[in-house]
Amino acid sequence: MMIVAEKMLVTVSPHLHKKDETIERAMKDVLIALTPAAVWALVVFGFNVVYILAVSCITAALSEVIMRKLLKRKATLRDYSAMVTAVLFAFLLPPTTPLWVVAIGAFLAVGIGKELFGGLGKNPFNPAIFGRLLLWFSPLAVYTTKFVEPFFWKTSGFFTPIATSINEGAVGRVVYKTMAGNPVDIATAATPLSLLKSGKWLPDMVAGPTPVGATWVTSGGKPSFWSLFLGAKSGCIGEVCILALIIGGAYLLWRGTIDWRIPAGIIGTLFLLTLVTWYHPVYNLFSGGLFLGAFFMATDWVTSPVSKRGKWIFAVGIGATVFILRFWSLRPEGVALAIFFWNIGTLVIDRYIAVPRFGEVGNKVFNQLPALPEPAPEPAKKRA
Amino acid sequence: MSGKATYKTFKGGIHPPYNKELASGKAIQAAPLPREVFIPLQQHIGAPNEPLVGPGDRVELGQKIGSNEAFVSAPVHSPVAGTVKEIADVAGFTEAKVKCVVITPDAEQPGFAKQNRDVTALSDEDIRSIAREAGLVGMGGAAFPTHVKLTPPKDKPVDTVIINACECEPFLTCDHRVMLERPHDLVQGLKLLVRAVNAKKGVIGIEANKMDAVDAVRDAAKGEGGIEVEILEVKYPEGAEKMLIYALTGRKVPPGKLPSEVGCLVQNVGTAVALFEAAAWGKPLYERVLTVTGPGIKEPGNLLARIGTPISVLIEACGGFVGSPGKVIMGGPMTGWAQPDTKAPIVKGTSGIVVLTPETVDVGTEEECVRCGKCVDVCPMFLMPNFIVQSVKKGQWDRAEMWGALDCFECGCCSFTCPAYIPHVDYVRRAKTEIAALKRR
Repeated sequence: MMIVAEKMLVTVSPHLHKKDETIERAMKDVLIALTPAAVWALVVFGFNVVYILAVSCITAALSEVIMRKLLKRKATLRDYSAMVTAVLFAFLLPPTTPLWVVAIGAFLAVGIGKELFGGLGKNPFNPAIFGRLLLWFSPLAVYTTKFVEPFFWKTSGFFTPIATSINEGAVGRVVYKTMAGNPVDIATAATPLSLLKSGKWLPDMVAGPTPVGATWVTSGGKPSFWSLFLGAKSGCIGEVCILALIIGGAYLLWRGTIDWRIPAGIIGTLFLLTLVTWYHPVYNLFSGGLFLGAFFMATDWVTSPVSKRGKWIFAVGIGATVFILRFWSLRPEGVALAIFFWNIGTLVIDRYIAVPRFGEVGNKVFNQLPALPEPAPEPAKKRA
Repeated sequence: MSGKATYKTFKGGIHPPYNKELASGKAIQAAPLPREVFIPLQQHIGAPNEPLVGPGDRVELGQKIGSNEAFVSAPVHSPVAGTVKEIADVAGFTEAKVKCVVITPDAEQPGFAKQNRDVTALSDEDIRSIAREAGLVGMGGAAFPTHVKLTPPKDKPVDTVIINACECEPFLTCDHRVMLERPHDLVQGLKLLVRAVNAKKGVIGIEANKMDAVDAVRDAAKGEGGIEVEILEVKYPEGAEKMLIYALTGRKVPPGKLPSEVGCLVQNVGTAVALFEAAAWGKPLYERVLTVTGPGIKEPGNLLARIGTPISVLIEACGGFVGSPGKVIMGGPMTGWAQPDTKAPIVKGTSGIVVLTPETVDVGTEEECVRCGKCVDVCPMFLMPNFIVQSVKKGQWDRAEMWGALDCFECGCCSFTCPAYIPHVDYVRRAKTEIAALKRR
């Protein structure tokens, strides 16, 4: 296809390419957009966040390099996609996750979730979510489902790396071991959504008793709107500060890296459903991983539909699934799981939801897929 | 030129860097006479011409030198007075070799002896035969014989003739210059087109980055009934036939159909002017205005060049290359053909020569599709370029067709915007060839 003669390049048209429109650039955009949330995580959860991010990134890079070597594919580390997965994966973890668990998870995300499926572009699931869910459904779950109160570093020390949790400690407390081997006793804290689920506290409606461990709430047992929105709450590393996520999301929208339909569809649907059922609409919106998922996970190019119609279906589907999981399932949160389900749905949406062509009459909804072609009569290629 | 003003347009498309300022201020100048001209016998879509002359024959300026009886064809004429050297296969602007009449021009060239005919008396039939005899083809690039377009099916009357004056291809400015310098001839040409198909009105659609041309043409059309000048948003591919019709009339040409389906006829600026020249002056299409431009050209400009002039002569006339050329493109940079050398002769459909420097050639390596959907967003035909590529890679031709391969007019928006640098157009062409082969079986 490419013939270089007399140094003049001969390729098919078009001969122009949009400036800065590369995979690498898009991935860098996502990393830039995640920075505000990372900075805030550093403030609430201390320097342990940096250790987790570092371990996640290094493991992800090594996993990618090694897996691609083993699978004999060309190196693609420079496209930064492994870094994006690594940071997003770290963002889905509680801030006291032991570093060795982080390393295992990052390998599962990039080594298995992305590379084993064929590398960037071929992975059916969002790799970060894939890694997170594998951890969640594994025996290692005990390390990744324990949430501590914000600003816990005041007890453990800002720069102290958490090695592992050793035991439950007293009621509402957990004892961690630092890298240096010293035990630290930290108060656990229910996430806003588990508070809601457990019914120990109903926001804005009943002024109940202060929930156990929820010392971060502002007054009278109510997590204030601002503590939810600005991120003075317990939760996963990247999900707590809604404001930071909105800033990052706005940057990606401005850059044209993500499509507005997906965050709008997800957040809008969940808001509408919680509004109709009066299931604490605003509280639900600003709790858990909704904004992180809507702006950064569901918008993943590879695992979301390509057409506008498809994107709407996908987004509304995720919003509805999050609502169902939060409302009826035993677990308080469901954003990651909902996105995972609809990653599978994407395969179906892309194939069967029709996009009427320019000038096409009638409003076709489904594609009629032609039957697979019969094997060519020419000498069939033997599969190695 | 307020950027906020909303002009008529279509959905989808892209905003490439236009770089029109390189040549838009340069008046049209006559290109030098080459030592030899190479006239391809087929410069149009349709049946190839048979040569009417042989080696050693004398030819006069404007003499018909190749023709074919078939309806879908257009004759070719000699752009010079001179002697036929040979009939030879020469590398054309695509990869394929084309049969050419090679003529050695006389040192002294006569000017064209203009006739002064009254065009108001011409009937529709007259206009069609003039167009055919003059060898008129679409000069925007597709080179479809004009008289064929002027013969719409009986049951599909044309009410609107549209002049495609968008010039949405980056870099090119030849239509812009023609509108500035010859607005009256354009309007007269349009009137002939309107008459040829008995349409109700003629519309000239100009992109908003050529407001001086809008003024010039509006001035020229003053007092002429049934001629409108419309301003269109600056967006690529505004000048694609279906997009332009939709932008101007709101009518949608159905997939696989021609503009006559919705009562429209689209012609390029150059073609309209050439029709006027043929009708009023008796001048066949043997020369055209084209733009020689790009960062790799020393003095970009607009040239009136004889058909068959090798590109090297035109590049020379514009001061030559800046440094070494990275890419030489015949036509616009979005749909044109990259040239391996500068030997190919220009044809009736050549609207420009764009030379990129090695630094301005953006060569990426094709990566795996990351399914970002940007190609789907920009496709003006609402196709699924990514799935066409996927199907082609797997050899699933019927699926490629389902995803719209046959409706693609290869504007290149998808590849322009693709972060994985996938050459969709290349895959689409492969699909078209294979699907056509399957259908012939």
